[in-house]
This record gives sequence, C-alpha cells and structure tokens, in this order.
Amino acid sequence: MLAVDDLVVSYGRGPKRVPAVNGITFRIDAGECVGFIGANGAGKSTTLKVLMGFIYADSGNAEVCGLPAGAPESRRSIGYLPEVALYYPFMKAGELLELYGALGGMARGDLRSRIPEVLKQVGLDGRQGQLLKTFSKGMQQRLGIAQALITKPDLLIMDELTSGLDPLGRYDLHEIIRGLKKDGRTIFFSSHELSEVEALCDRVILIDRGRIIREVTQAELRTVGRERSLEAFFIEQVRSGGTGDA
Amino acid sequence: MHDMRCAMVIAKSVLLEAVRRKEVYVIIILCCALIGVVMSLDFFGLHGLVKFYREVALQLMGISCALAVILLATRQLPREFEIKTIYPLLARPVGRLTFLLGKGLGVCAAAAFCLALFMLIYVAGILSLGGDLAWGLFLQHIYLQMLQMALLTAVCFMLSLLINYDAAMVIGFLFYSASGILSSASLVLYDLTNNAGRALLWLANYALPQLVLFDLSKKVIHYEPALRAELWRPLSFGIMAALTFYALCHTLLYGGVSYYLFRRRAL
Repeated sequence: MLAVDDLVVSYGRGPKRVPAVNGITFRIDAGECVGFIGANGAGKSTTLKVLMGFIYADSGNAEVCGLPAGAPESRRSIGYLPEVALYYPFMKAGELLELYGALGGMARGDLRSRIPEVLKQVGLDGRQGQLLKTFSKGMQQRLGIAQALITKPDLLIMDELTSGLDPLGRYDLHEIIRGLKKDGRTIFFSSHELSEVEALCDRVILIDRGRIIREVTQAELRTVGRERSLEAFFIEQVRSGGTGDA
Repeated sequence: MHDMRCAMVIAKSVLLEAVRRKEVYVIIILCCALIGVVMSLDFFGLHGLVKFYREVALQLMGISCALAVILLATRQLPREFEIKTIYPLLARPVGRLTFLLGKGLGVCAAAAFCLALFMLIYVAGILSLGGDLAWGLFLQHIYLQMLQMALLTAVCFMLSLLINYDAAMVIGFLFYSASGILSSASLVLYDLTNNAGRALLWLANYALPQLVLFDLSKKVIHYEPALRAELWRPLSFGIMAALTFYALCHTLLYGGVSYYLFRRRAL
C-alpha cells in the first residue's frame, strides 16, 4: 500500500541545506494501522508531505498504491489530515465537504447523502449550514477528519492525529479509527501521544533526526507498557539510537 | 474530464469568496456613489453631462474592476500557503496545473461578475439621462475589459509567486495604472536612446502586455452617431480576433511562468 525506500529530503540550498529526512525505508501493507512517532523536527511531517507530493525528495523512492508519491492519481485513494487544519472561513461546512468530495471524484448525488453521514460520524451533525469562521479549533479539527473521510479512502494519512481535540474529541476519533480498522482501511498517522499509538496501532515506527531508529509491534509495546512507562521507553530509544531493549 | 471538473469546482470556490467577502461590494458601492455624484451635476448641460457621465463611469468601472481583480488574484496563492488550506485541496487527485487553472478561472468569473454589475449600473445611468448608448462599441469594450482582466490575473499570479503578497498587490496595481504611460513613454524614448536601449525597449514592448489596447472607452465616451457615422462603428472582426489572440498569448505566457514557479514549489 505504501513503500518508502532510502528517502532523503532536505530544506534550503547550498551551504544552508538542512537535512530533514536522512535515508529512511519502511513499508506499510494494506489493512495495517501504523503510528509514526518522533520528537519535534524528527522528520515525521516531512515524510508525510513527500507521500502527499507537497514537497519533493532529494533522492530515494516513495510509492503510494503502486504509484509514485505525488502523482495526482496516487492521491485518489488517500484521505489526508494536515497537521494544522484551517479551512476557508467564508464557506459553510457542507460547501467545504462538497468541494473536497467533488475534487475527489464523487458525484453530486452521492455527496448529498455522504455529507450529513460523515458530519454525524465526526460529531458535527446539524452543522452543515454553519459558516466555518464560527467554528472552534476543535470543531475545525473534527471537520478536518470529515474531509479526510469524505471519499471513503482506502488509505488514511494523518499528521498529528488528535492535535487540538479535547478528551471527548480524542475518544470519538479513536472510535472512528477503530471502526475504520475493522473495515480494513490502511491507516498511517504521526502523533506525540504514546498512549494513543499503543491503543490504536499494529506497529509503530520511531524516527529521530531524520532516521528510523526502531520499529515496534503492538505486542512489544504492550510488554513495555507493563514494565515501565511508554515515555521512558521512547526517551531510552531516542538516546540509544534505537538499540534499547523492548 | 476530471481535471476540467476540478478546475470548475475550484473556480466556484474563488467566486464564492469574491461574493461573500465584503471588499467587492465596498468597491462597487463607492463606485456607484461617485457615479451618483456625477449624475447630480448640472452645470454641463444635458449633452455635456452625458459625455461626462460616460467618461467618469467608464474610468471608475475600469479601475474598480481592476482593483477587485488585483486584490483577489494576488491573494489567492499566498493565502492558500499561509493558512495551509492548500494541503487538503492538493491531497485530492488534482494536479498543480489544474489547481492554478481553477484559481484563474475563478478570478475571471469574479471579474465577469463585477463587470456585469457595472454594466447594469452604467446602462441604467445612461438610460436615466436619456443619452445614446453605443451598444456595439459598449459590448466590445466590456469584452476587451474581460480579456484585460484575464491577462491581469495571470500577471498577478506570477507576481504573487515571485514576491510577497503586499508587494505583488502594489506592483500589480502600478503595472495596471502605469501601463498606458509605459507604452507611450517607450515610443518617445525609442528615438532618444542607443542600440542597447532600443533592444531593451523592443523587448519590453513585446514582453509586457499593452493594456491600453483593451481600452475602447474613448470611442464609447465620444460616441456621436450624427457626426461621421463611419467613425463610430464597432471594431471589425479581424481587429477583435487579433486582440483576443494577443491577450491569449500574454495570458498563456504569464500563466505559464506562474505554473513553472508553482510546479515544484515546496508547500
């Protein structure tokens, strides 16, 4: 479903060039739910942006559904939630979802029934006609999830899954993710919340300073969780460059 | 087919922005207020007043429409980058060329909306003053203004990708307002300069769009069918086709440069 091989990405030019991702390789199969964990500036968002075609790699390969990442066709089966979710303030929630659904190739008739359904799914039922400039940060985040789900994508890529959500919003979103997992969707998300990753993911990829330092399965994470805190484990892995015990 | 539908959907969102934000209405209301003041003046006599009205109304409409287009066009891309609305939009199967095309079509649709409103105001004013309306010339003038706005949109997109939003807006407006002066100045300077200067002026003459070519307002203002009727006929099909071709070439040139700048831009 998703393959990254020896990906190198840097920002800036010439002597001011700063490496952001430094030769990472990983693979995600259909139906998997994978978390991408790392400190700020570790290269998580950069990797996700390459997969979406927002920035271009210096070298290496990234493929989505067998197509080169960035090709418009590769995005047909992706639902994407950006790290900072802001939407056109002059639009109403229903109009925004109609815009994204139409761009995703949905027919107008299908959108008419899908929009109320997806708004209900994210806890925004009845808000279809409300202008987005009146939405709170949490409501915008929920709407962001709705726009990612509008086309019923096979692959969900989410940057900072629950950022800006209150505990109730987090709980709702976790339930949505569990439902999508049951449906067999592939989910790849970055997060700072270790407990969230443990609760939702089949596998976790740890990244630090542009390099993958460790891949951990859910079973390993649970074992770790019984022995010591996940935070302690994460810090230990970062400090040891991924050689610490699981 | 999908690309065209995407471009139209994006264009619709730009038009919605133009209609829902207040600035277009402020420009139109100010323009109407000024036209209203002109219509209330009576020291020209009716004949002079009609001409004065035509002149002021057409100039105001041209400037107001250009201002609305410059504000809207220069804002489109920087605003998408700034508030990051571009991410969910380009996360769909939409190419960057389609995105740019949709934005351009949207600004042109907003320009057409402004021009249509101004056209109604102008016609209502002329009819209430009992003046002659040169329909053929007037419609040609509106069509040429529309071409001018499309060209201006492409220039503004390019500017907004090269420099920051504020600078792009100022330069866009300077370019629009100084285009006529630049054209006539280059003709005068051509005879006064050396070969290198002439080469530069020649290049500027062909590379920079001559916006004055799309201004038929003088003919519409001084329309006097009673005096030498052949002078006031609409422009021939050949001239209109040549002007359309000229606008198309420059719009494609500046649109092409915009796409080149946007194509591999890191978002």
